[in-house]
Amino acid sequence: MSSSSSPMQSTGRKLKLKSKDDETFEVEEAVAVKSQIFKYMVEDGVSNGPIPLPNVNGKTLARVLQWCQKHADPTITEDELNKYDAGFIDVDQAVLYDLLMAANYLNIEELLKLACMRVADMIKGKSPDEIRRTFNIKNDFTPEEEEEVRKENAWALGP
Amino acid sequence: MEELAMLRQLVGQLQELLELYGSRPPHPLQPLYPLPLSQLHSQQHNRWCFLNVDDGSTDDYYSLIMAAGKSGSLKMLEPYKPPPAKKLRKERTRGKSSRTANSVEVMEQQIWKDFPEDLFEAVIARLPIATFFRFRSVCQKWNDLLNSQSFSQYCAQVPQGNPWFYTITHENVNSGAMYDPSLKKWHHPSISSLPNKIIILPVASAGGLVCFLDIGHRNFYVCNPLSQSFKELPARSVKVWSRVAVGMTLNGNSTIEGYKILWVGCDGEFEVYDSVKNSWTRPGNMPSSIKLPLSLNFRSQAVSSDGTLHFMRSAPEGIVSYDMATGVWKQDIIPAPLHLTDHTLAECGGRIMLVGLLTKNAATCVCIWELQKMTLLWKEVDRMPNIWCLEFYGKHVRMTCLGNKGLLMLSLRSKQMNRLVTYNVSSREWLKVPGCVVPRGRKRQWIACGTAFHPCLTAVA
Repeated sequence: MSSSSSPMQSTGRKLKLKSKDDETFEVEEAVAVKSQIFKYMVEDGVSNGPIPLPNVNGKTLARVLQWCQKHADPTITEDELNKYDAGFIDVDQAVLYDLLMAANYLNIEELLKLACMRVADMIKGKSPDEIRRTFNIKNDFTPEEEEEVRKENAWALGP
Repeated sequence: MEELAMLRQLVGQLQELLELYGSRPPHPLQPLYPLPLSQLHSQQHNRWCFLNVDDGSTDDYYSLIMAAGKSGSLKMLEPYKPPPAKKLRKERTRGKSSRTANSVEVMEQQIWKDFPEDLFEAVIARLPIATFFRFRSVCQKWNDLLNSQSFSQYCAQVPQGNPWFYTITHENVNSGAMYDPSLKKWHHPSISSLPNKIIILPVASAGGLVCFLDIGHRNFYVCNPLSQSFKELPARSVKVWSRVAVGMTLNGNSTIEGYKILWVGCDGEFEVYDSVKNSWTRPGNMPSSIKLPLSLNFRSQAVSSDGTLHFMRSAPEGIVSYDMATGVWKQDIIPAPLHLTDHTLAECGGRIMLVGLLTKNAATCVCIWELQKMTLLWKEVDRMPNIWCLEFYGKHVRMTCLGNKGLLMLSLRSKQMNRLVTYNVSSREWLKVPGCVVPRGRKRQWIACGTAFHPCLTAVA
């Protein structure tokens, strides 16, 4: 993320983004194209004015852009990147949820995978009942059906 | 009486095959043959009957029949029924404690209740296999995920971890036991789609699918042990059912693009099955530079590396390889290390390895060699820790190697003893494997044979 006062250059073109709470960000093209959405915009030449992002708030957008910057850095090693990712995604639920939604909306594949992996880690120890409560999922099995499914899959007991 | 007929048939096939390879039928065969069924059932023990062969020409498949025949356990061909819902107290508490350790965080419904439907599949694809099966009872949609195309795509994207091992144990000849090395747990599913009147054995695997061959080497079957996706392959065009070595490769990165299975016999005959066309073809002949008969080492599973299958042979010692793409056979003469027995090929990240028992005087050790591609010589790169090797001192040990890519499971057996160990080729880590005990059983099972496979929920046969 660069300050908004630096001039536009032909080699390091920048995109202007506006979060839903009206925060503006300027980001280099090479960093922004981690998001497929921005990639298409740049390719189609429609990246001139500030791009409004009504589904992402300023705080989340700042984090996402920071991640994109790190991942666009050619000097960083894979090990360093993995360490960075582990720390990056170790956040509280509310932040994680926002990051997940932003990555999904902006179509940033690697960030989405990272966030999904974290969610998987968080839910893997739960019981089916806890899962239903957490995600507000309706149990559409009859008690007999549920027992049947449970029995069929009982061989794979485990956390 | 049906069992006796089956046993007679198997024994007959065994004798035929042994005669084919010029060894005399081992001694225990004779008293076994004329025994009436009642006497078979009265045999108490389930021990291995050690065939007196030092050249390794007969292998565990036949020992299996012997042991199974002796104990009358050939009878156990009914599909395995899952145990009743009541768990042992140990299992219950173990399950509870590990659950609390993992779900430290209480997930607030306020945050997660609006989680978008289309992201569930991406998350579920990243769950441990065991958890996936537990979550199938959440709702109908989650139960049906195995049939979802998009879920399949997500599963194909998840990087592969450690393989699981599909094994045949000496007691349950037709329902495999599966070992999950990341949880160090044995699972005992029932694959009801596998034919239960004949004995079939796993011979190869690729992309989450396991290829089975029946004991008479007639029919091939392909199955995903996790989802029970199952297929019997069309019959091959051969007239003589001789012993074959089998290899399996994927056409692309996952089974979505199909797979190929190759069998090759000692007479140089071979065929390739293409899952896309669902047919066998003979893509040519073995070049004359490769001396026949091929004395294939059947104890060693074929190794698949980069689209090439490698088979181990013993005279001359070395490797015979087949490139699936070009259809070209080639051979490499590689002298085997001295005092070596029970050796099999393995592969890790492009490196070809050899695993075997090294016996000098009374000391036996498990050794790992790597093929030096420049010189075509085996170079020792690792050994099993000495403390473990001491257990075998002075004992006649046999070893079976399951899996041949990255992670290996070694089954080490002597008269009194049965040890299971896994070896990670890249991390050089040796780990003990908990004994395999069937639910409601107490006896540790002997692993007869098996193969490693990459657990893939959505691989389709």
